[in-house]
Amino acid sequence: MQDHTTEQELRDRLSLIENMIAEGRRHTESWGWMFVLWGIAYYLAIAWSAWSHSAWAWPATILIAVIVTVILASSRVGKRPGTTLGRAVGSIWIALGISMFLLFLALGLSGRLTDQHLFVAVVSALLGMANGASGLLLRWKVQCACALVWWVAAAATCFGTNSQSMIVFLVAVFLCQIVFGIYGMIAETQERKRRGPIHA
Amino acid sequence: MPELPELNPVVHGRLRLALLSLLIGVEEAEFTWLRTKTEATDGNLGAQLLKLEEAGYVAVQKKFVLRKPQTLYRITDSGRQALTEYVHALKRLLGQAIDA
Repeated sequence: MQDHTTEQELRDRLSLIENMIAEGRRHTESWGWMFVLWGIAYYLAIAWSAWSHSAWAWPATILIAVIVTVILASSRVGKRPGTTLGRAVGSIWIALGISMFLLFLALGLSGRLTDQHLFVAVVSALLGMANGASGLLLRWKVQCACALVWWVAAAATCFGTNSQSMIVFLVAVFLCQIVFGIYGMIAETQERKRRGPIHA
Repeated sequence: MPELPELNPVVHGRLRLALLSLLIGVEEAEFTWLRTKTEATDGNLGAQLLKLEEAGYVAVQKKFVLRKPQTLYRITDSGRQALTEYVHALKRLLGQAIDA
């Protein structure tokens, strides 16, 4: 067989193996829509709480976002193969979601969610942790950069005024949820277009 | 001159190689997922998967989820070994091509 096999063909086979292994293990970019969805949810919750000062603004918005996420994700998960890496990344985000929901629901209902700086710092630090862990697991520099933005936001919000703290949070949400999410969706679409069909 | 390694013809097929490489990174995968990733036609994909199954490189499990049929494929130990040996042979061949 080798007599007819050119060096280029051998390289092509090696490249195919690498690409397909990477393809099988890559999952996060397919979740770009979720980052955008949650970015919008944060903006809606901020707008609602600023407009009505309701203690329900955050818990209600987060609950709706959770329901939408579960519905959309369950329709996609069934089509995906299970990997240890995928489960690890998924577990980080599920645990983050549960922690944030329980913490802010309890704080909101008990009337102790009064310090905006602390709220933004805790949310930013938690999101930094999840993005950092996920980015390190996937060796995805863009997501590690998002983690860095969240951590900087968490630290910066402790020092400014209320409005500065809110601006820091809005910017972090825009960069790490909306921009990162759209980047993920575009990257996935481009990858699909770039890769042609594989024939026997 | 050292003897050139043989490339396993079952693994060497482009689509079969892509399938084994995809399956080595996951625990199991649905037919539809493999079709999306390879962009192969149903007929071609089914035929190549059958060849891999006959060689003992992939195992198939058919089940019903919410009354819908689902075909799951996973790489077997022989398939994993065959792909590993193929990569070693490929690298040796490429090394010799560079040395030549």
